[in-house]
Amino acid sequence: MRDVIQLLHVLGIGIWRTFLEWLAWRAFLFTMVINQAVTPLMGLAVWSVALPGSTRISTYYVALLAVQLMTVSYEHHTFSNGIYAGALNHDLLRPQPVVMGPLGANIALRIWHLLVGLPLIIIAAIVSGVSFDLRAILLAIPSLVLAAVLRFLFTYLLALSAFWTEQAHGVVGFGETLIFLLGGSAAPVTLFPTSIRPLGESLPFQSMLGFPAAIAGSSLSAMEILAGYGWQMLWIAVFVLLVVFVWRSGVRRYTAIGG
Amino acid sequence: MKLFRLFGAIFSLSLRRELAFRAHLVFQGLMTIVGVISGLAVLGIIYTQTHTLGGWSLGEAITLLGTFQVVSGILSTFIEPNVMWFSDQVKDGKLDHVLIQPVPSIFLVSLGTCAPLALSQVVVGVVVMVLGLRELGTLPTLWGVSGWLLLLVAGIAITWASRVLLASLAFWAPYITPDVLYGALWQFGRYPVSTYRQPIRFVLTYVLPVAFIATFPARALIHGADPLLLVIGLAVGLIAIAIVLLVWNAGLRCYTSATS
Repeated sequence: MRDVIQLLHVLGIGIWRTFLEWLAWRAFLFTMVINQAVTPLMGLAVWSVALPGSTRISTYYVALLAVQLMTVSYEHHTFSNGIYAGALNHDLLRPQPVVMGPLGANIALRIWHLLVGLPLIIIAAIVSGVSFDLRAILLAIPSLVLAAVLRFLFTYLLALSAFWTEQAHGVVGFGETLIFLLGGSAAPVTLFPTSIRPLGESLPFQSMLGFPAAIAGSSLSAMEILAGYGWQMLWIAVFVLLVVFVWRSGVRRYTAIGG
Repeated sequence: MKLFRLFGAIFSLSLRRELAFRAHLVFQGLMTIVGVISGLAVLGIIYTQTHTLGGWSLGEAITLLGTFQVVSGILSTFIEPNVMWFSDQVKDGKLDHVLIQPVPSIFLVSLGTCAPLALSQVVVGVVVMVLGLRELGTLPTLWGVSGWLLLLVAGIAITWASRVLLASLAFWAPYITPDVLYGALWQFGRYPVSTYRQPIRFVLTYVLPVAFIATFPARALIHGADPLLLVIGLAVGLIAIAIVLLVWNAGLRCYTSATS
């Protein structure tokens, strides 16, 4: 128990440190938020033209914008680059799990994205005239937390590929394309053709991004919500195991620099 | 003429450099294909729900996506590798090196290196356009193709000008980094401009001329070029180039190298 409290304390310090570091990069944060917001906003524009008069789709995409900003993950920058540059050496020497560094940076960046992006979310909500149901939002919050955990695990797993290849940025980019395509950003999974919809619902990508937005947009039945929570927990368990396994075999290959 | 020969030499050097990294080459090719397939899949899903998007049918939207891909390929081959993080060159004084070369500085800064592998995006873009035209079931007329080409040239000129213009902001405000922002706004070119609502549509047509990258050329290819639009496109292209040259020279006068 004391260990857990100590770890949380370390994590809190990590978050606070990265948060303050980024205070110096406010202008760059702004462009990062715009960059993250473009796909949900384009989805909002395109789908509200494709399905005119549907406030449900606008609500979904405004919620998706919020989810996207609160689940952003940049482990290819915060972690893979450290492997390439040999900076991981310092983290390996510290008396704390290495993952605490990227995790703290991740949470700090998400807080920043939400803070900087909040006006954007509010403007998008007002312009597209959406109305949220408070009950739906309350139902969506736990799934948002799970999605945030899952997306971190997924990106961290892909970023670990830096132990084997120079292409970790490309690998993470590929993962992001999958999240965009199958995670409910390109199109809500509820609008997928019926033949591939079950696939979209069960793959981990919907659990990382679209699922909380779909709950908040009131487009799921109670059964679907329950099933979605089930998929989220299942995928988190799978990805925790994968991350532990890949980390253990990767760190053995690590040769500090020049390998 | 000298600039053209220099450009050829730069291209061949860059190509040889890139071919040395085989794994990177394969990976880039794969990513290009994945990107295009994802773009097509998105259109496929949208058009299961509707028959028209801002007045564009599926075949027309695919043709537009192909055109977008062609211009994006040219942007990431010739322009982006140069001006990406240009503000760093201004900040740490590396620009000195460019200024002492016997070639116009704007040429070296904006076209001094390239990433020839990204041309694969252009090839894939042409394939996508052919797919779109097949879906439409029409053969473009000669007039349509020449209109497409002319507007494409205008679009590329505008792209180059706007990207360099954004980069040259670094002379006055070296601590803003507009590079990521440009890439983000660029994505709006994927869909017909008529998809977006009015204030945004106006901005995308006249302020950030995203409409010229794909919407206008694709429309010219499918429906034949509107002569007025051709004239406007070429005029906007020329004006954009003139503005960039002016701003660039004004910017150079503000440049004080690293020690200031």
